[in-house]
Amino acid sequence: MSVHFTRRSLIRGITAATAVATLATGLAACGGDSDAATTTSDNAGTVTVGRLSNGAAEETTLKVSEVKSISAQLPDAIRKSGKLVIGSGTLPSGSPPLGFVGSDQKTLTGSEIDLARLVAAVLGLESEVKRFTWENLFVGIDSGKVNVGFSNITDTEERKRKYEFASYRKDDLAFETLKSSKFAFDGDYEALAGKTVSVGAGTNQERILLGWKDKLEEEGKKLTIKYFQDNNSLYLALNSGKIDAYLGPSPNLAYHVTQTEKTPDATRIAGQYSGAGASLQGLIAATAKKDSGLAEPLADAINHLIDNGQYAKWLAAWNLSSDAVTKSEVNPPGLPLDNS
Amino acid sequence: MTATTHRAPADTEAATVEIHDVHKWYGTHRVLDGVDLTVRPGEVTVILGPSGSGKSTLLRVVNHLERPEIGHVSINGELIGVRRQGERLKELSERAILTQRSRIGFVFQNFNLFPHLTVLDNVAAAPVATGKLGKPEAVELARELLGRVGLADRTGAYPRQLSGGQQQRVAIARALALRPGVILFDEPTSALDPELVGEVLAVIKDLATSRTTLLIVTHEIGFAREIADRVVFIDGGRIIEQGPPSEVLDKPRHERTRDFLSKVL
Amino acid sequence: MSEPPGATVTLPEARAAAEPPKAVTAQRVLPLRRPGRWIATAVVLVLAAQFVHGLVSNPFYQWDRFGYWFLRPAILDGLLITLEVTVYSAVLGLAGGILLALARLSGSPVLRAVSWLYVWAFRSVPLIVVLIFLYNFSALYKTLSVGVPFGPAFFSFDESKLATDMVIAVVGLSLHEAAYAAEVVRGGILSVDQGQHEAASALGLPKGYQFRKVVFPQALRSIVPNYVNQLIGLIKGTSLVFYVSLLDLFGAAQTMGSTYPGDIVPLLLVVTVWYLVLTSVVSVVQFYVERHYARGATRSLPPTPLQKLRAGLAGLRVRIRQEAAV
Repeated sequence: MSVHFTRRSLIRGITAATAVATLATGLAACGGDSDAATTTSDNAGTVTVGRLSNGAAEETTLKVSEVKSISAQLPDAIRKSGKLVIGSGTLPSGSPPLGFVGSDQKTLTGSEIDLARLVAAVLGLESEVKRFTWENLFVGIDSGKVNVGFSNITDTEERKRKYEFASYRKDDLAFETLKSSKFAFDGDYEALAGKTVSVGAGTNQERILLGWKDKLEEEGKKLTIKYFQDNNSLYLALNSGKIDAYLGPSPNLAYHVTQTEKTPDATRIAGQYSGAGASLQGLIAATAKKDSGLAEPLADAINHLIDNGQYAKWLAAWNLSSDAVTKSEVNPPGLPLDNS
Repeated sequence: MTATTHRAPADTEAATVEIHDVHKWYGTHRVLDGVDLTVRPGEVTVILGPSGSGKSTLLRVVNHLERPEIGHVSINGELIGVRRQGERLKELSERAILTQRSRIGFVFQNFNLFPHLTVLDNVAAAPVATGKLGKPEAVELARELLGRVGLADRTGAYPRQLSGGQQQRVAIARALALRPGVILFDEPTSALDPELVGEVLAVIKDLATSRTTLLIVTHEIGFAREIADRVVFIDGGRIIEQGPPSEVLDKPRHERTRDFLSKVL
Repeated sequence: MSEPPGATVTLPEARAAAEPPKAVTAQRVLPLRRPGRWIATAVVLVLAAQFVHGLVSNPFYQWDRFGYWFLRPAILDGLLITLEVTVYSAVLGLAGGILLALARLSGSPVLRAVSWLYVWAFRSVPLIVVLIFLYNFSALYKTLSVGVPFGPAFFSFDESKLATDMVIAVVGLSLHEAAYAAEVVRGGILSVDQGQHEAASALGLPKGYQFRKVVFPQALRSIVPNYVNQLIGLIKGTSLVFYVSLLDLFGAAQTMGSTYPGDIVPLLLVVTVWYLVLTSVVSVVQFYVERHYARGATRSLPPTPLQKLRAGLAGLRVRIRQEAAV
């Protein structure tokens, strides 16, 4: 058959398209509250860290107020908006204790989120936290959807091509394995020969693991790497023996170990490693778009928190004191480009 | 079934149909090769011809389901499907053609009733959709017409619940609902089981007595003899001969007509 | 499961049949016995029972936690997102599909080509990619404007304000869905007999009326089952919306699973059961919609489950009465 487009049907088509557009606008109007964004407002001058942590932290309230000398360095656009948009790459599954949905099963909490809120308070800004997938977090920073990522992002030389950093925590990696497993890691990659290990795609630790895999292959040994879309399927695989170990951020693994302590699938930490390779201490850093002018005020704000002791209280609240750094640096040396 | 003998409603004016030098071809195949035919108001014309002779195409040219390459058709003097622009004929807009078609009845070989509508809705739909009648009037008219074709008791049925003969009678009622000045029948009984042919022919015969212009393509020679005012024999896209049934059917002058009749009789 | 009930009671009659054949016409016919069928039935029932028992008794599934999570607000919020995204996308997708199908079937070669290209492109590109692209659209285009191509813009708006996560998800899924819906609708329209178009045309029905009242209702008979298939795929396709920072049913379960790592399995079961519920609801609606559009297509409508049940019970009653009478 042939349907001819007369002017009438064209007009009808345009009417339908308008209706669709109107409907879409309606969606825009009503869709706002379903976003995975939360604006947390503490009482003026205080920030409570370690809230709703499901046992991962001790709730602590800290008094924080704006430091004008630091907030004066902020780029105009951000100072005028009065708001710091903080990105967390924790979708769909969270990454406790760094960033995850708290025990009210609603609010995004976690150590990284808390530090971001402390920093925002020092900068005199309201904090708005948005959740993304790991990949979208970076595109979000690129596109300006997000001002700064606080999401266990390791400072690396490669990432410095597009981003600028203000470091705030040591980046330690760890291997997690089943309690019943014999696997142990003392820093020597030879222990990985013949093993199947999982690691997050696109992460710093993936690069390290891939480097070990190459070295093992040169020696004629095999290391199998498996990827999972999210941590839940990863741990199901660990429990069922499909993988021998998981290489991930130390704090996440420590949380998981305590959470599974009393279950049949109890796990343990099989060894640790620096996130910047054998010769350099890896650092976790607040991440902003390159040349955004944010790294400086962020580093100053973190140093302010280190100096007044609130940084230590924050780490203590989350049982992460061992990851403390003595000062925040702008674009410190990270995992080198050729190190893999 | 009983076909009652109502006259056609008074507001229907039987139409004159003029077919003027119509040519139609598909690629290099000539289907109609210069057909001229004038049908007077109220005249019943039966078109005969072997299959592939172009008789169905001729019928479909009349209501512009097919566009002739050359020539034109007019009904009561109004050009169908085209308008005159200087020396040339230009095809009308689709909407204008649809309006013209709503004044011409067409009955298909395969009924083509709308299967998802009840019998009553099949008949009442067109007058409402074309804006000729309001819904209540259309329904009333549909009931009357269904009564006329002997299906007053099946108004709520769906087409597939009816026999072929009944479906064709609904199709005739559907064509009548637009009060056409002319009704075109394209082999109305060819798809029917033999025992159902009679009931449909009875309805057409009833129409023939009611002064509506009818153009009928059929293979029913006996029926043609009974009701036709004129029989037209077509072969190879041309009219071979025409005249009253007593001449064309009983004393054909042309070899091809004799040949055809000897095969079908 | 011993003997089929029909067999035992007909034995006396079978003996009677051995007597001189006097009233042949009135004799009851013994149905063929099918022991194989009975054995297969028994085996399947045992297996099913074992499966259910395993499901209920295996501690792996943690049914107590299942009960805890099933109606949690966090899960229900996710369910709501799933429903919202599905409903909007299904409606917009179908509308887009109808327009695309009409364009594909139109006389204009340009419309045909554009429609074909659209369907080709969106059926080729994975939904995830569509979503990620749309989500980061603002990185590419800061503002959208309406105007003449290469000419002046009539008005423009900030894309990131208009495009909430929900809008992006719905637009992404609708664009994707429309490509498939276009083929479903086109198939439906093509399935309508050519004679219907001719009849509508010969009656002089206006073009729009022809489509709305004659062609489309008949096309729906083939569109509905195919589109419902699409719809069920769509419900599950919404589990990808976490790529645009929306937490649907599945995303909610994943997020909860990371906070409560011990509950991953019950959370997955919760999600499974909710998807079962949604699919069942859609299937029931499908049955009645199909029944509605079957009017006239078959001589009689298929019975509703309720009617079937009633007829079945009545049949059983008659049979019991017969058996008792013998």
